[in-house]
Amino acid sequence: MNRLRNKIRPGPIHLWILALSVLMAAGAVAGVMVFVKGLSLTNLSDFVPWGLWITIDLTAIALSAGAFTLCAAVYLLGLKQYEPLARTATYIGLIGYSMAMLMLLLDIGRPDRFWHGFVYWNTHSILWEVTMCVGLYMLVLMLETAPIIGRSEFLQQRWPKLAGRLESIHHFAPYLAIAGLFLSLLHQSSLGATYGVLKARPLWYRPGLSILFIVSAVAGGISLTALASMLSARFSNRAKVKDELIERLAFVVGWIMLGYLYFRFWDAFSMTYTYEPGRTEGLSLLTQGPLSFNFWVGEIILGAVIPIVLLLNGRTRRHPEVRMLALALVVGGVAAYRWDTNLAGQLVVMTYLPHSIQTLFTRYTPSLIEFMAGAGVVAYGLMAFTIGVRYLRVVDHTDAHNTISDPRIVEVGVGAD
Amino acid sequence: MADEKIHRRGMIKMTAAGAAAVTGLRWARTAAASSPEGESPHSWAMVIDQEKCTGCGYCNLACQAHNDVSPEISWNVVIIESHIDGGEPTYISRPCMHCEQPPCKDVCPVGASYQRADGIVMMDYDRCIGCRYCEVACPYFARAFNWEAFTGPNPAVPQWGFPEVPRRPRGVVEKCSFCFHRIDRGLKVGLEPGVDREATPACVGACPLGARNFGDLNNPDSVVNELLSADPYCQLRDDLGTGPRVYYLSPRRTEAPV
Repeated sequence: MNRLRNKIRPGPIHLWILALSVLMAAGAVAGVMVFVKGLSLTNLSDFVPWGLWITIDLTAIALSAGAFTLCAAVYLLGLKQYEPLARTATYIGLIGYSMAMLMLLLDIGRPDRFWHGFVYWNTHSILWEVTMCVGLYMLVLMLETAPIIGRSEFLQQRWPKLAGRLESIHHFAPYLAIAGLFLSLLHQSSLGATYGVLKARPLWYRPGLSILFIVSAVAGGISLTALASMLSARFSNRAKVKDELIERLAFVVGWIMLGYLYFRFWDAFSMTYTYEPGRTEGLSLLTQGPLSFNFWVGEIILGAVIPIVLLLNGRTRRHPEVRMLALALVVGGVAAYRWDTNLAGQLVVMTYLPHSIQTLFTRYTPSLIEFMAGAGVVAYGLMAFTIGVRYLRVVDHTDAHNTISDPRIVEVGVGAD
Repeated sequence: MADEKIHRRGMIKMTAAGAAAVTGLRWARTAAASSPEGESPHSWAMVIDQEKCTGCGYCNLACQAHNDVSPEISWNVVIIESHIDGGEPTYISRPCMHCEQPPCKDVCPVGASYQRADGIVMMDYDRCIGCRYCEVACPYFARAFNWEAFTGPNPAVPQWGFPEVPRRPRGVVEKCSFCFHRIDRGLKVGLEPGVDREATPACVGACPLGARNFGDLNNPDSVVNELLSADPYCQLRDDLGTGPRVYYLSPRRTEAPV
């Protein structure tokens, strides 16, 4: 009895799990309400049909980009030392994509018809391509995650044969890395093009969005992988990281972000040269209007400039706390960019009147239900990661990758204690 | 170890070959997707005379009744356009433009928006998943999402007509269809859309001032061809290259040269 009480003595982890559970429950309530009552519970309108949930979709997918990047680095470029980090990234990727799927299921008007996206094809639509790539990549991520689950103590004890099978999928890792790279390069940029091909929305209608989306996704994805690893190692003794690996990754993120800022600067600056109805107003909405705080502070200063300085400067980068802060800022900047891009294009409304084409503005603030459902999905992601750290050892960067190739070798005594 | 046996160059080759194959396939499909399927002797168009329009909104009421549209939604909004020279206001009535190159059709991931050979841009309400990409893509805001189910009685019925098509369910995007059901049924029984009221979009028949006209652009004697050859006209946002099938005759064209 005493032992039992000792075992369940509440600690910070229980508080964390409890908080996440509460948020997930709130999200579930909101989700059920939306399924029953429909999207009229949101503050979306025919002028702004895409809101907070789309932003969460885009951000979750962008921040999952660490999976394809690191898998490509390990299996295609041969940077084997990053294999454990690729494992963490893959698991985060699977969570991210499942978050996006979950959110999307709520966001579409007919969740019962979600399968139409895979059955009825309009190959002319960018969203068709995104649907196909996301669906197939989800499959790739599941296969890439299978060996991680196969390694879990529980599965190895209970069903060693199944565990061995799952682990053996690891042999296909290089092929999966190719598939993942190919699919991700397509849809991560196509998510930007989803906006970029719409000539009805002058602020979006430009080719740069695809490039900005994929570059920011790669930076954000690697950042989240590194940040989540460091945080796990700090809060759980089941997570182990190699600081020098993460530090090198953080350095890479700094350079990618510098490239991103350069593209971002030219993308915005080129819009100032000539007046284009709707586009010019959209830009000033970002730089001077209601989104200007998000833009300057969230995206540019905190989201790019400060982390670039902190990550490229060796002294600040080597400091773990400062590095974590910088990585968190990159992640936040990616989310801010998705929010601003999605919203700014819709807030500018071009009239279609024949003799006076004007630019008008509309508004959007998410409703409580939207916040609840969004928070629920994010909480699910954090919960899934927490479980992964505790029971699947997804953040264990100390063991070499070749120890997991043969299940018989790992058959060490994990006797019932 | 299996992964050590795989050569990097081979992988790069495979990736390149795969990319080339998919790109080729995409181009082939894209070329096919830009033209509507089948053939039709007709090419429907609407001509709205802004000089005659007084903004009474009868067109919209008839549309609400015949297409059983929710009062929350309008397929054919009528708005004040401007006060030219400080004079009488001019009005603009905006159905779906049934574009020659419809952005909504291009973006729909499931092909629920499609184009008939006679030019009508259609909605397959059984296929629409409610992603609302078409709403974002339409320059005319001609599309409306069913944010909630339309369950109550239709206030436009019976005064303005009776429903001729089923109500759309919650969660799909809907829009003006040029009353394709009236056209198709009319043609079947030998009527001429644009001439015979039963075979013409409900809004056209409801206009008390004859501001709305409908007809076949392929028929040189049709009323739409007659009007378009006689007077200056414009199309909404034709700068975008969408090629709208709704034409507007200028207001005040008898008073001042345009």
